[in-house]
Amino acid sequence: MTRGLSLHGVSVGYGRRTVLSGLELETVPPGSLVAVIGPNAAGKSTLLKAIAGLRPASGRIVLDGEDLAAMAAHRRVRLVGYLPQVLPQGTSLVAYEAVLAALRAVRGDGPAEVAIDAVFDQLGLRDLALRRLGEMSGGQRQMVGLAQALVRRPRLLLLDEPTSALDLRWQLTVLETVRAIAARDRSIALLAMHDLNLALRACDRVVVLAHGRLLTAGPPEQAMNPDVLRRAYGIEGRVERCSQGFPIVLSDRAVPRSEPSGSATP
Amino acid sequence: MVTAPPLARLYARFVRLRVLLLVGLGLALVVSFLVDIATGPAALPLRDVVAGLLDRSALPRAQGVILWDVRLPYAAMAVFVGAALGLAGAEMQTVLNNPLASPMTLGVSFAATFGASVAIVLELDLFGLGANVAIAGSAFAGAAGATLLIYALSRSVGATKDTVVLFGIAMFFTFNALVSLIQFVANTDALQQIVFWTMGSLARATWGKIAVIAAVLALCVPLSLRDAWALTALRGGEEQARSFGIPVERLRLTVLLRASLLAAVAVAFAGAIGFIGLVGPHIARLLLGEDHRFTLPGSALAGAVVLSAASIASKLLVPGLIVPIGIVTALVGIPLFMALVLGQRRAP
Repeated sequence: MTRGLSLHGVSVGYGRRTVLSGLELETVPPGSLVAVIGPNAAGKSTLLKAIAGLRPASGRIVLDGEDLAAMAAHRRVRLVGYLPQVLPQGTSLVAYEAVLAALRAVRGDGPAEVAIDAVFDQLGLRDLALRRLGEMSGGQRQMVGLAQALVRRPRLLLLDEPTSALDLRWQLTVLETVRAIAARDRSIALLAMHDLNLALRACDRVVVLAHGRLLTAGPPEQAMNPDVLRRAYGIEGRVERCSQGFPIVLSDRAVPRSEPSGSATP
Repeated sequence: MVTAPPLARLYARFVRLRVLLLVGLGLALVVSFLVDIATGPAALPLRDVVAGLLDRSALPRAQGVILWDVRLPYAAMAVFVGAALGLAGAEMQTVLNNPLASPMTLGVSFAATFGASVAIVLELDLFGLGANVAIAGSAFAGAAGATLLIYALSRSVGATKDTVVLFGIAMFFTFNALVSLIQFVANTDALQQIVFWTMGSLARATWGKIAVIAAVLALCVPLSLRDAWALTALRGGEEQARSFGIPVERLRLTVLLRASLLAAVAVAFAGAIGFIGLVGPHIARLLLGEDHRFTLPGSALAGAVVLSAASIASKLLVPGLIVPIGIVTALVGIPLFMALVLGQRRAP
């Protein structure tokens, strides 16, 4: 059995509108962080939802040799953790019980305390445990959502823009934590991201989506180049290396609409 | 250096506080219930109420009759109807993710009112069981029909929380208009009955009706508590809840039908009493948060306390007269409702 995640002809739509078409992704090995990047409306969130089983998809999504679609729902839920892009604001649930509910809903009445303590420690959330979600900042709520996804120690983590509401320090903290967890549990994390430089720095691989198709996938330094920037984002840009050796994207100008670029209207 | 206690211990303390608050609500209900029994035109001191409840023969015959056949059914009806409306409101608000949802705002109460009005005007008599059974049965048919219609319409266009609430508002106005139409064509006797019934009143409480409401609560409360974790998870976000494997659509349908049953049985026996299904859950959330292991029983208790207190007020507002309780809850409820709406607008 090949361990890891792979996609085979995956297509997803909303009604008659096809959002993702025929996605193929070679096996991503356990312990990897994969950034799913692309312009607005490229289908990043839709891909994550399809893998999480929240959107019907055709084709095969294979995790550790098993087709997720053919898997019993209760088993799939244990293997796949998902953090949505938007979390509710007006709730008076406290952080601890939000995470406890995530565990109880999946595992029933099994032991929960040790796992919750561990994940709150890992994410530095101990001081927020008894604070209501409605009284938290967007970033803090996102951290609690992350704790909900991580507490079950899933094989596959799907994080939809997990750093979008966080400041620079927390962005790095979250990504380092996810990396440590992926390494410890030999799990795979797929992160839909908008910040290209953060994605290139933090992830082992990038998957570039554009116009509902997978444009390219691979290690950051291979997958990202000026041609991809032009075709996916419609910009003229360069990919250089910073002093620490990470690839960084420098954007020079938007390609005028009269020139062929491939970028969709935002 | 002081080591911080593990979160589990901190949370256990937090839970203990909630249990105490729940017990406090229970005690408030007991006090309100006893005061409700003691309140009325005939003097019946609290001491005699307690003595008479423990042993009917401890009171003179006339006082025994007042206690057991008049005051007690009235006060018990307030408790059970309040509990049913409070629980129904809490469940509706959670599954629709809308703090303004309640049997009244979704049109379920007015659908039940319409059903009852039809029975009154047509002088229905189901299987020779009498007018009361016919009115109750017809009210339940109206409420259940409205809920199923809301659900069917919502499914046909995708059952999001917004569409369900919009259909509920449409139901509210439709059934309100139909009740007005029935009032317009009804004869004087029927009109008087309908108007009295639409005001909401506990005056027709009987032990038989109380038994029916108690049985419905005994059926629904365990089912509600069984769904408590799923409902708690739902408050953390619908997509999150789906990703935990919670069948959100099925949960929403089950809960809405259960809430309709609770609301229908309350409305069928006590008329259209508004705001309890709105205010009860808000009090519970304020005191107990949104862990539904506490929110659901807390909403039932808070609904019962508020309606019991309204029952006391209905006897004290005009000396020698019992004002229909629906009027009291509306007078208290409208300012509360406005406060909630304004609170929503100020929320970040």
